[in-house]
Amino acid sequence: MNKEISQTVLYSRHKDLKAKMAPFGSWVMPIFYQSVIFEHNYVRSQVGIFDVSHMGEIFVQGKDASSFLQGLTINNIDKLKVGSSQYTALCNEKGGIIDDLIIYRIFDQTYLLCVNAANIAKDFSWLQSHQQGFLDLSLTNRSSDFGQIAIQGPLSLKLLNTVFSAEKIDFSQLSYGQIIEVELFGLKVFFARTGYTGEMGFEAYLPLSLVGSLWDLLLACPHPKALPIGLGARDTLRLEAGFILYGNDANDQTTPMEVGIGWACRLLEKDFIGKDAILEAKKRGLERKIEGFIMDEQAIPRANMTLWQDDKEIGLVTSGSYLPSLQKAGGLALVSCKANIEKPIFVDVRGQLKKACIVKKPLYVSKSKTS
Amino acid sequence: MEKLKFPDNYFYSKEHEWLSDKKGIVTVGVSAFAIDQLGDIVHIDLPENNGQSYGAGDSFGTIESTKTVSDLYMPASGKIVAINKAVLESPESLQEDPYDKGWLVKISIDQSPDNLMSAKEYQDYLNQEG
Repeated sequence: MNKEISQTVLYSRHKDLKAKMAPFGSWVMPIFYQSVIFEHNYVRSQVGIFDVSHMGEIFVQGKDASSFLQGLTINNIDKLKVGSSQYTALCNEKGGIIDDLIIYRIFDQTYLLCVNAANIAKDFSWLQSHQQGFLDLSLTNRSSDFGQIAIQGPLSLKLLNTVFSAEKIDFSQLSYGQIIEVELFGLKVFFARTGYTGEMGFEAYLPLSLVGSLWDLLLACPHPKALPIGLGARDTLRLEAGFILYGNDANDQTTPMEVGIGWACRLLEKDFIGKDAILEAKKRGLERKIEGFIMDEQAIPRANMTLWQDDKEIGLVTSGSYLPSLQKAGGLALVSCKANIEKPIFVDVRGQLKKACIVKKPLYVSKSKTS
Repeated sequence: MEKLKFPDNYFYSKEHEWLSDKKGIVTVGVSAFAIDQLGDIVHIDLPENNGQSYGAGDSFGTIESTKTVSDLYMPASGKIVAINKAVLESPESLQEDPYDKGWLVKISIDQSPDNLMSAKEYQDYLNQEG
């Protein structure tokens, strides 16, 4: 592993804003500026902006781009229209998840892959190792010259339309999952209506030289007033929304079915690496599955705590936290399919069994999100 | 951010606990610096009953923020004589007032501690640590 710690282009701004910084993989990132709970609630009720420049951007281009991606991803790329996006995953031959990602089809033969920060090098070399036989194909890892800002919350649309009113860009034309290219300070920027909070929101993909300018522009708007949000709140927001986090809730030992993204896995429509193993596992029957849970007793569940029912170990917490919108603790857990999900479960919190119950995902349903 | 406060009459440990005095029955809590570092306090675990004895440096509970769990360490050896049950119900009171409403336990000291810092020494220590 690369032990070097990287800073995003906004590092000095985070320091000026007195953010609590902490290592996040190989990056030092803002965890919170004021308070995780305050920032979480602000995104649920107003609008927040997140520096997510650590995320990776890989471009796949050429006549063969779609057939190349079709064979490597679980979702059906043929269904992806220009200007739209698709949630998908790369799997190994055993059906284990290499990474989960969003693919944007930004032009007819150009796909932008937004991948997890910790997996950039792994994903890129996986793609490269499978490009043989695709003659009209180019793969470019642009992670180090692209930044990313997420704009999330019920007032995100109003914020963008206000900030860009002079440019006459109407962000309301973007429906959920869509992406457009706009010109900002003479350079091309992509805005997508996607996010990781469960709220209405947007994500901007832009050259590093523009990240600071966009950040300042968004924070300068007096109404609606956006606040910077740290990765602490990003995690509690995604957890309430029931979104998995690679490295916690999914890894190369878990299949798409197990982590609850089977809906994106198009087994009947296409062939892809990992499909045979996934079909095989499906035939045997699902053994464990990611479930949402909420604590009934006062205790905070944390990753890797064990779950119990009737004196049997039934699973493992994969993500746990205090959940501000629910005002309760909870999270996601990998639970044996033999467990009775109607009955109480118990989390081993440092030697004490604390009562919890399994609930349907998402743990919290946003009041603002519209499609 | 407003300046963090450290009452002059208290004593502080390197683990960021405070002690109201060095002898007799004293109150134990965590410093404003620790609270500031942790962020939102969402859960606190303390001993359930009075009467348990701890040595200096022993863990007597945990304090959890949204992101992390930290141990609470006894700044002096002694026996627990009171537990702040109110703080278990509303851990946020620790953030609002770590020195009064946010006290954690009271102990009867059985050996006067010699490695605690004054408020001034503690602030110098924090500045050194950066």
